[in-house]
Amino acid sequence: MPSTHCDLRRHRRAAVFGAGSGAGFAGAGRPLRVVSGVVLDASPHLLMLNAGGTEIRLAMSGATKVWHGGRGNLAALRPGRPVIARPGKDGPAVERIWVGIERVAGTILACGKDAAEVDMGPHRGRAHVVIPPDVLQRVLVRHPRMEPGYLIDVICVGSPDGPRAVRPGTSQPGYRADDLAAPEVTAPVPGVLRGTATWFGDAGGEAPAGAAYPAVDSEGAAGGCADAPSGCVPFPYLSVGSEVTVHNECGGRAATVPVVECGCTAARFCDRCVDCAASPRGRIVELTPAVFAGLGGDLEAGCFNAAVRVEGPW
Amino acid sequence: MVTAFQNTQVLLLAAVLLAACLAKLTVREQAAGAPDHVHGVPVPAGLARLTALRRNRGMTVGLGLGEGVLGLALLVTSHLSVRLATTMAFAAAAWVVGELRVRRPDAGCGCFGGLSAKRVGRRSVLRAVLFTGAGVASLGAPLTGVDVLRDVQVQVGLVFTVELALFAALSPELSELLERCRASADPPCERRRSPIAETYATLHRSAAWAEHENLIASAVPLDVWREGCWRFVVYPARVDGRDAEIVFAVSTAAHDRPVRAAVVVSAPV
Repeated sequence: MPSTHCDLRRHRRAAVFGAGSGAGFAGAGRPLRVVSGVVLDASPHLLMLNAGGTEIRLAMSGATKVWHGGRGNLAALRPGRPVIARPGKDGPAVERIWVGIERVAGTILACGKDAAEVDMGPHRGRAHVVIPPDVLQRVLVRHPRMEPGYLIDVICVGSPDGPRAVRPGTSQPGYRADDLAAPEVTAPVPGVLRGTATWFGDAGGEAPAGAAYPAVDSEGAAGGCADAPSGCVPFPYLSVGSEVTVHNECGGRAATVPVVECGCTAARFCDRCVDCAASPRGRIVELTPAVFAGLGGDLEAGCFNAAVRVEGPW
Repeated sequence: MVTAFQNTQVLLLAAVLLAACLAKLTVREQAAGAPDHVHGVPVPAGLARLTALRRNRGMTVGLGLGEGVLGLALLVTSHLSVRLATTMAFAAAAWVVGELRVRRPDAGCGCFGGLSAKRVGRRSVLRAVLFTGAGVASLGAPLTGVDVLRDVQVQVGLVFTVELALFAALSPELSELLERCRASADPPCERRRSPIAETYATLHRSAAWAEHENLIASAVPLDVWREGCWRFVVYPARVDGRDAEIVFAVSTAAHDRPVRAAVVVSAPV
């Protein structure tokens, strides 16, 4: 019996077109089971998390790497901090833990000496990002235009003052946010979209696991924004609840995830990822942190080269 | 040779002025061409007022007519006042375009009406400066444009062709024009913006609607969403005394939109 919005729409769609076969990506690996939650307790061998009201115990080993604004240690795993934990490929022990990781991507509204005001789009609101002087030097290397109207994308760590920038997420596109070169109106839609996949939100985010897709229809109850740019890739229009299969072309893993948000901000970024090779231009999908990490992506790296197939009967 | 070059400038300037007149009168700027807010960053009020003035339709038509009159005058008379007016007009245009490039990088110059909606680039400034130079060169030309056309010399034809090619290379409007021509072709249904009113109109005209209309229990749809080439509209229904749903799938293609329907008798919870 269908229970979620996504299941309901899939059920109704299948009534008209029949159940799709879900072509996916041949030879792709399965995603890792990533857990996100709030730290209850931590010891060198055990991590206890509150994951949406469920207590989860995860084994840790000496090889477990902790990130908290850089390389961290067990001291970073304080109770109350949001974390994302990824198991290793070869065993149940946790391989990577990201503590308090956040991301701010959008259009710069104002920029001071040690902070920036960023418009993250109609669904995510505005953010005040603190950029310490030592980090600003690193950010400026990949974001030379820290001016209102230009795009910014920084990996942050949560702090009492709000998100504190740690490093640039990706390189800044050279154009103003409103000067995006859209594909021709008549450009055909490819069967598989290729470009860069990033992540959005934060470790303690409440968004359900899934993807923000740049071309969500704005009519009816589809969930899109009316003034969203068209992006620099010929996207087919979808809705919240549609399903896309995302393939990490660097790590080889793939997963089918629902569209949970309109990626209006992603549509403004016509950038590349150079995780394993230079990807084609275009931020084709933004994933929630757990999904991104489950597909083998490193949250602090910010992106991976991706292929996206829209699951549907057409 | 110098005289032939001067005569060519008269022809070139007349052609450019008439083309600008035609574009201003026929290709309107889109309403959202130059926003007053760029992602929440307000444009200074003075500059916004100047841009609003430039985008005023009456002003555009007036400028277009003025350019048309100058272009025709260049064709029919060799009077110095016409050549001077043309040169001054291009010098003023070069100054305005240069100012726009510095102060309103998000706004187009409107030189060729709606075709010049994109931000002013170096090419547009260089083009205006070169036309000013052509205006200066045309001051001493002995012939009118019509006289040049009556007896086209080889040198004039050659210089005119080269100058037209340079004009095309320095005109971002050319790609916009080509894009508009291509845009007249239908976009693929997956990417085509399809208004909801169009979906309902197609649905209500369809055989699938006529077949299921009497089963529908409420005029308000339960859900409306889109996936690729199809927009789905779901209505509550009563079938044989049981609650059901009717799912319509309406194509988003530009023409000949098919409609499919299915009845889901055991309504999902």
